[in-house]
Amino acid sequence: MKGGAARKLALPVTMVVLIVGTAALAPILPLADPTAIDIPNRFDGPSWEHPLGQDEFGRDELARIIWGGRASLAVAILSSLIAAAAGTALGLMGGYFRGAAEILTVRAAEVLLCLPPLLLALLVVTLLGSGATTLVIALSILYTPRFVRIAYAATLQTRSLDYVVAQEALGRHPVPILARTILPNISPPLLVQLSVTVASAMVIESGLSFLGLGVVPPAPSWGLMIRGARGAMDAAPLLLVWPCLALVLAIYTFNLLCDRLRDVLDPRAVALGAGGWLRALGGSTTLPATPTSQGLLEADHLTVRLGDSADATRLVRDVSFGLQPGQTVALVGESGSGKTLSGLAAMGLLPTGLSASGTRIALQTEGGAVNVLALNEPQMNAFRGEEIAMVFQDAAASLSPVMRVGKQIEEAVRAHHDVSAHDAAQRARSLLARVGMPNPERAARAWPHELSGGQRQRAMIAAAIANGPGVLIADEPTTALDPTIQAQILELLIELKSEAGAMIFVTHNLAIVAEIADRILVLYAGEVVEEGTVARVFEDPRHPYTAALIKCVPESGEERLVAIPGVVPAPNELPQGCRFAPRCSFATPRCCDEHPSLETTEDGRTVRCLRWREIP
Amino acid sequence: MLSYVAQRVGVALVMVWLVATLVFLLLHIIPGDPAVLLLSSGSTAPDPQAVEALRRQLGLDQPITTQYADYIVGILQGDLGVSLRDGTPVAEQIARRLPRTLELIVAAAILAVGIGIPVGVRAATRAGGLTDKIASGASALALSTPVFVTGTLAILLFAQTLRIAPAGGYVPFADNPMRHLGLLILPASTVALPLCAVVIRMTRSAVLEVLERDFVRAVRARGVAPRRIMTRHVLRAALVPVVTVTGLELGTLLGGTVLVEFVYNWPGLSGFLVSAVEARDYPEVVGIVLTISALFVALNLFVDLLNAVLDPKVRLST
Repeated sequence: MKGGAARKLALPVTMVVLIVGTAALAPILPLADPTAIDIPNRFDGPSWEHPLGQDEFGRDELARIIWGGRASLAVAILSSLIAAAAGTALGLMGGYFRGAAEILTVRAAEVLLCLPPLLLALLVVTLLGSGATTLVIALSILYTPRFVRIAYAATLQTRSLDYVVAQEALGRHPVPILARTILPNISPPLLVQLSVTVASAMVIESGLSFLGLGVVPPAPSWGLMIRGARGAMDAAPLLLVWPCLALVLAIYTFNLLCDRLRDVLDPRAVALGAGGWLRALGGSTTLPATPTSQGLLEADHLTVRLGDSADATRLVRDVSFGLQPGQTVALVGESGSGKTLSGLAAMGLLPTGLSASGTRIALQTEGGAVNVLALNEPQMNAFRGEEIAMVFQDAAASLSPVMRVGKQIEEAVRAHHDVSAHDAAQRARSLLARVGMPNPERAARAWPHELSGGQRQRAMIAAAIANGPGVLIADEPTTALDPTIQAQILELLIELKSEAGAMIFVTHNLAIVAEIADRILVLYAGEVVEEGTVARVFEDPRHPYTAALIKCVPESGEERLVAIPGVVPAPNELPQGCRFAPRCSFATPRCCDEHPSLETTEDGRTVRCLRWREIP
Repeated sequence: MLSYVAQRVGVALVMVWLVATLVFLLLHIIPGDPAVLLLSSGSTAPDPQAVEALRRQLGLDQPITTQYADYIVGILQGDLGVSLRDGTPVAEQIARRLPRTLELIVAAAILAVGIGIPVGVRAATRAGGLTDKIASGASALALSTPVFVTGTLAILLFAQTLRIAPAGGYVPFADNPMRHLGLLILPASTVALPLCAVVIRMTRSAVLEVLERDFVRAVRARGVAPRRIMTRHVLRAALVPVVTVTGLELGTLLGGTVLVEFVYNWPGLSGFLVSAVEARDYPEVVGIVLTISALFVALNLFVDLLNAVLDPKVRLST
């Protein structure tokens, strides 16, 4: 990280040092006098004595560029520093004393921000007349409010910290405490603001000089030079180009510094590939060879990798399960066990960067079974919502916030069926009624944020079952809800279960499994550790992990609840032998060396444990 | 919704009043006699008689409370005083020139949004790709180029060298519509360029952020077509931050028109402002600054209301 930061900042910092250094050293550099007029040689092109030629008064262009930069940079940097110091002090006072001080500093600053920046500067220039000093005053006034806001926000945040309150209680004067706590806190945003302010001040300074209201001739300034060269555009176009280039380069450098600083200080990298599915348009429309399959959904040795390479971390390994019509299969495990990823893989909706592989995921559709793993994005999209649908954990985050609830259900219907708007709306209302929405008419017209948590979950279920999918995947559909609402939603799902083809129920809550599921698939660290009918597994768990999970359930009737020690291992640092061995109370040295394979028990269950025969 | 509108309008009116007060105070906060300041140039002391005359003309001989009351009442009646230069009412000049500046702003905003949003969306959906790289480089450059540089270089290139566009000027629309629009293209594009860069950057990051959100996956799970998800869900949700940030840039945009009008000889409000500042004509400057600030507040109000239309949640939070 440190090396990355240094690399990112190297270019802009070098450029800033070069530009500021050249300007600062202007008096000792071997330059011609920037104000020496040489009328006979005006507009002369580049020569040894005048590398960039001579301007409309025969003055040396290179010297004027460097001296002009000196003026522009001095004004910009000086006013930024004044603004930063004044703004931080005022913000600190406003944030600390509140009351009248806050009105005088922070609120006044906010009003100042209401004036377009250049106008405020012009107002000051009208009063004080043009000149470099006026510019510094005007720009300082202009940029102080921005620093006030940063310091104010930081002060408010810090003053309520226990540390500050405690010091205050001890009778220490709070301002030095605040300054010591706040200054380190706001120095990163302050640095960013400072570099952007220098860039912005240069824009305003050059603009005012360009209008003839800034730096006073004959002193050189980039804005003035552009103003002068504009009149002589036809005679010497290059005279216009040089100061423009210098100005843009300087501003660009400070903007770049600001961007890079922000990147380094706030390294919240945005994933670039989140829109990958948008690009997957077109492609073959012919479906790949259809596998034969009895179940509605059959996953066969499903593996989910992080990345595409063969040695990539595998988050889900060799998970197989089948789903018969009318059946509900529960995928159970702690966070990080791979249960949600397995569900998303069946939907073809894995997050960017993850890829599914394996023998196949066979999905029964109207035209026969298809292999989800072999479908391209448009092909899979045609089945999503129609043959296989999903209800997500957090309904508040999973309903589109910018579309009315009814419209979202209509959209789901019309994505697959060519029905009129009126019929779709009708269908949406009846679906809302079907999922037990108290007032379907009103709910259809509501925005998601106007509904309660339970109503939102009902709406999402309505959208999922809109086309009567054969397979419904419910991913922790009750976890985010209040206990009473949980029970209602669960009841609804049990009701729907009898109508729908089949359901996969993803949960970490075994109490719910007992109520809704026929078969259970216990996942640990990305692999199946036990599989069987709910009745048998609950009655006689064969894997120590399953047994431990059951003991964690308050409703299980155990006298005392037993927590499982430790956490699920990270997928890139799995133990060598049995993945559960480090947390298992039955583990032997052999468990730590040998990775058990799935074995079938006498009653038709599968279990992944070396000692399943011995353990009671 | 109605109470929301009323509340926003109320806030906007208070803002205008605060800005007017601030401008008034500025004249009195700055140390020294304003009349002396306005008349001095360099180190020569101004003529005492002229100072006295100016003090009377600006009403500076009155008590400050009377001055303030007269000033506010004047604004409410649409009276912004008379010019020190030629004695004409300031409000009259402003009324004539304001529509031209507005035209420039509206044309620039249409250009910036019309180009910026599609480019930003494409840059986001193909993040890291060629479009994205070009767009990000070009917008960084556009944000670092002051409008008067763009304007001057555009004149050098299109008018001076290629001779395919007029170098500037203004013809009323009623006189010659085609010529009027022809003269509008370069100034409007110049104002639009940095704004467009902001819109591209903001659209790109907002779309990328929305694409990460859970509801996009949920909508995909229903089998909705990608193009529809993009336009009806992702872009719709991304527009709120785009509109907000574009609104924040309006101040820079309005400041930019001052320079652009000057570069292209566009006889709007801003060119008038420059000559007023040059002449140190205080009533004119105050009148124009107030008008542009009111315009700025009005545009921000428009942005707020637009956001309320775009984001159903805003309407509730009154």
